[in-house]
Amino acid sequence: MNLELPETAIDFGASAEGAFTDAGGVDLARRAEGQPGIRTEVVTPVLEQLGALDLQVADDLDTALAAGELCRVAGRCALPYPVMAVLASGARNQPPAALVDPVLPRADHGDLFPRWRLAAIDGAVWDGRPEGRPLGTELGPFVVDMAVTAVDPEPVDVPMLLTLSAWQTLGALERALELAVEHVTTRHQFGGPLSRFQAVQFQIADATVAVQSLRELAHFTLWRLWTAPLDRLVDALALRTYALESAHGVLRICHQLHGAIGFCDEHDLSILSRHVQPLLRLSAGLEATTEQLMATIDHTGFDSLFDTGATARAAQQR
Amino acid sequence: MDYDLGAQAEGLRLRLRQLVEERLPEGFLGAFTDDPEDLAITQRFCKLLAAEGLLAKAWPTEYGGGGSSVWEQTVVREEMWAHHEPRGPQYMGINWVGPAIMRFGTPEQQAQHLPAIAAGDVIWCQGFSEPDAGSDLASLATRAAPDPAGGWRITGQKVWTSYALMAQWCIVAARTAVKAVKHEGITMFLVPMESPGITVRPIPNLLGPHHLNELFLDDVSVGPDDVLGQVDEGWSVIREALKFERIGIARYARCDRLLTLVRQALGERWGDVPEALRARWTRARVHTRAAMVLAYRVVDAQAKGIVNDADASVARVAATLCDQEVAEVLLEALAAQAVDDGHTRHHVLHGAVEDHWRYAQAATVASGTIEIQRMLVARAALAGETR
Repeated sequence: MNLELPETAIDFGASAEGAFTDAGGVDLARRAEGQPGIRTEVVTPVLEQLGALDLQVADDLDTALAAGELCRVAGRCALPYPVMAVLASGARNQPPAALVDPVLPRADHGDLFPRWRLAAIDGAVWDGRPEGRPLGTELGPFVVDMAVTAVDPEPVDVPMLLTLSAWQTLGALERALELAVEHVTTRHQFGGPLSRFQAVQFQIADATVAVQSLRELAHFTLWRLWTAPLDRLVDALALRTYALESAHGVLRICHQLHGAIGFCDEHDLSILSRHVQPLLRLSAGLEATTEQLMATIDHTGFDSLFDTGATARAAQQR
Repeated sequence: MDYDLGAQAEGLRLRLRQLVEERLPEGFLGAFTDDPEDLAITQRFCKLLAAEGLLAKAWPTEYGGGGSSVWEQTVVREEMWAHHEPRGPQYMGINWVGPAIMRFGTPEQQAQHLPAIAAGDVIWCQGFSEPDAGSDLASLATRAAPDPAGGWRITGQKVWTSYALMAQWCIVAARTAVKAVKHEGITMFLVPMESPGITVRPIPNLLGPHHLNELFLDDVSVGPDDVLGQVDEGWSVIREALKFERIGIARYARCDRLLTLVRQALGERWGDVPEALRARWTRARVHTRAAMVLAYRVVDAQAKGIVNDADASVARVAATLCDQEVAEVLLEALAAQAVDDGHTRHHVLHGAVEDHWRYAQAATVASGTIEIQRMLVARAALAGETR
């Protein structure tokens, strides 16, 4: 057993977070709403300099963990860029890959690339292109309607996309919780900080449990993608389900504890909360993901102490 | 990064499952029943484990243990709890009474008690809670006064004392001094249950027989050598004990086993279970996995000697909530068959689901309530000390 992230992944995540912070942090997302060009003019060069766009997630576990850390720190500042889609593309000159709802294919930051590879949860893949400009809505400032142009015979690594989306969600939740802790310890009401009230403390505790659980499950799942190749989809769907549940719980708590200031765009919580929504909604929300997970468990099992996953079953049969 | 427990631990798991399969009767639900044969089964099983060096697997060899890794001990905890704890009440001696005696006991106490625990010869109970000292344990009022003839005389009342009628020894927390800080002035005593002045009264309860008792100590005499740790400094022993206890039970393992078994037991009827409930079952599977990896994080920290209260509490909150969620999902899945003590005509899994549900009600109460755990987590989070 070795539960520690490799130093290379930790260092890469720390460098990326430093670079994103130096470039403006959450303010990048805030400014990009009015100046969408920031995404290519500011964010792309930062990612290039980090070598982030050259990470080959399919190479080995350590590289994938570095990619996970990159997605996590991108989530921490609502980085206005489809990092996950580029990482999952498979190679630098390949179009980015996104999971979509085939009924209404949409991609976050879909306008940044002329060609995309759009995948459904069942593994079907299409070539796609952006259709028009970002929607510019509160909850989808950079969501773009996509046009499907042709069936693409090359597979997309759907489990990797699901897993990286959970790591990015983790980053957003981590930061939202940090903001909530900061708020309740500095905001004084009734003659003292909000944090002295047990009703507040318990919510902080629940959010802390949720974030730590999601982190452990995210680490475990990425390891499983490498070690249990026949269970990749079921493991990734389980993580995605957990990430969505955690997001609903943690963001609700963080908004509640912030009061009205948390709804204001001058506060980072509002930006984080709005910009993470495409991540939580676009391909499938919590209930739809649970249904997909349920069907996949029916098909492959769900490896655990008392259930045998497909990889373990295949090993037993050999 | 590697979550593989290793070939040795997996070999151990297989051996334990083999022993369970061969030596436990079908439908065994643990020692805490009205049938004395169930206790006898656990005593025989402990002897069997001890003979193979599996009972105190992770204890240092000098104390009669196997000197194995905490991961092997984790496997033992998982398999035992998943199969309704065939060690019976002895799991407590292995999990924390023994380690507390290793940490705080004198060489004489270690020589007297540790081999007996490691050999599966002795049952311990825990005399902590009192009618007016539950979560606020430091308010305990049981008094231990110096005996002019030497030693101490203990008088007071303990409550919720599990297995008190089965135990040969009790680890008793008593007040030896009244100090400004109530956590000070508490001393731990190792008390034989056959001592004159001890009375046990079982409390009929929802959890099942033997789980809850009252323990009365009326001028009970204990020797000077029966103090564990330093006089007036028992709180540090309690804190250590509770830390061990928080990860002592692998609740997720029984959740996992029952979630899997119930689905198998329902067979084709699984399709008739309402879809919303099957969705809850699906999420419960995920929550069980999350509780497991959180527990592994604490075990890992324990192995490195860096375990902290908040991490242990995070894992415990997740595990106990998961326990109750699973209990509810499974009871609902069985519908009318849920009312089942294993002896009804239409029983499923010999009443394991009802047994689990009843015991799970106490998951967020026993060994430190979930409110206390949340306070510990919040305190650390607000101080910026959580990961």
